[in-house]
Amino acid sequence: MKKKKKSKAIVINKISKEYVLHHQKPTFFGTIFGLEKRQRFFALKDVSLKIYKGEKIGIIGSNGSGKTTLLKIAAGITTQTSGKIKAYGKVVSLIELGAGFHPELTGRENIFLNGLVIGMDKDEIKKKYDSIVEFSGLGDFIHSPLYTYSSGMSLRLGFSIAVHSNPDVLILDEEIAVGDEKFRKKSMKKINEFSRKGITIILVSHWLDYIRKNCNRIVWLEKGNIKADGGEEIIDEYVDFLKKAGKYYYVI
Amino acid sequence: MKNKKKLKHWIDFTMALTEREIKSRYKHAAFGFLWMVLNPLFQMLIIGFVFQFFIKFEIDNYFEFLFSGLLAWNFFSLSFSKAVPIFVNERYLIKKAIFPRESLVISVILSNLFHLLIGFFLFALLTMSFSFNMIWLPLGLFLLLLFTIGISILFSSLNVKYRDINFIVQAMLALWFYATPIVYSLDMIPESLGMLIYLNPLSFIVEIIRFSLSSYPISDVPIKLGVNLLISSIIFILGLVVFKNENKNFDDWM
Repeated sequence: MKKKKKSKAIVINKISKEYVLHHQKPTFFGTIFGLEKRQRFFALKDVSLKIYKGEKIGIIGSNGSGKTTLLKIAAGITTQTSGKIKAYGKVVSLIELGAGFHPELTGRENIFLNGLVIGMDKDEIKKKYDSIVEFSGLGDFIHSPLYTYSSGMSLRLGFSIAVHSNPDVLILDEEIAVGDEKFRKKSMKKINEFSRKGITIILVSHWLDYIRKNCNRIVWLEKGNIKADGGEEIIDEYVDFLKKAGKYYYVI
Repeated sequence: MKNKKKLKHWIDFTMALTEREIKSRYKHAAFGFLWMVLNPLFQMLIIGFVFQFFIKFEIDNYFEFLFSGLLAWNFFSLSFSKAVPIFVNERYLIKKAIFPRESLVISVILSNLFHLLIGFFLFALLTMSFSFNMIWLPLGLFLLLLFTIGISILFSSLNVKYRDINFIVQAMLALWFYATPIVYSLDMIPESLGMLIYLNPLSFIVEIIRFSLSSYPISDVPIKLGVNLLISSIIFILGLVVFKNENKNFDDWM
């Protein structure tokens, strides 16, 4: 296997995303009879970004800057209005852990369901089942229905399934801080191990210290545009920006 | 190779959703699967009572006639009414993960198909009417599935953007029941309506299922089959096109 120094993971080319503002959901009759006016706005405008394999990218920006929209497009959950995106390999997003968990089914049944949701196949799940259970630390609870779990327990299970899914790109958000201290350490270790293996990590968070510690590239989004792209110094610029705007109170 | 893997994943995923659908429905019911037999049975008794004793319909074995029609209708109406709001109901899944979303609709229909097959089996057991006509049952089932999947995909995709679709559908179903020859037979309706009733694909489907289960007579099969296939295929293709277009932006409307 030849290893190029900088092979691409995701290439984003001039992406825009336009949303229709809905104060009210559109109705079929309303649309037919032209009773509704639509207001539109751009969540992203002409954003271009090249992400390389093995990078740990932190995406920062104030609320409504387009961070989530960008990640959703990268993960394929929604589609851009214009522009192109190409992902090389399997993108798994942990925007919400445990998507598709069903409260009535047992942990075991949910592992299979959730594993399929995030793109693993059945044999793969069977093979990794023991390891998933072990990593989640749920023990015998795995045979109980999900409604008996605490929220921390379901998050642990969700995280455990996701990290076993062999992603090429892993998208994470705030919820990386799941479970108790012990599990948190375990999950961070796993994330670092991933990045050593050349898996690309994209992180979205308001938790700037965490980004500073864990990311080697920072992208700052503001009002649907990339305001800055670079190293750690971007975080300082961002903090200055927030202080000036008087919005610094929530960053510790 | 890659396509084969994709197909396998699609099948695994759809089956897992179907299993979830079936399991979660009966997990907390004391008599479990008994309920799905009891429901149409009660329905048949009530409707049968009304039309047999108050309004006299002259149909041989009216209860048998009614039950075979109800089996097909219940499959359709349960699938359709549950499938239309499914993307909205499963929005927490759709907003968070990327997966073949059409599987949600298909799994609703497959779980009902599972019940329908048990229903057919019990029906054959109860009436003890086995005949050679049964070889037509797969055709009836195929037509029923084609139409149900097509129309469910179409309306569930529209319902994401236009939430009043769900209300329109529920209202439509109440009328649709009487527009389909379930409680009455086709020779009771005026000649002038003629082929018009076959614009409703369910008419022919109910007829052919009845023919195969309890040998009620059927005529002009080729032309009715042609009309049925044409309408069902148009709806099916339309459904796929609308789904393909809307699917990309489901997340925006949730």
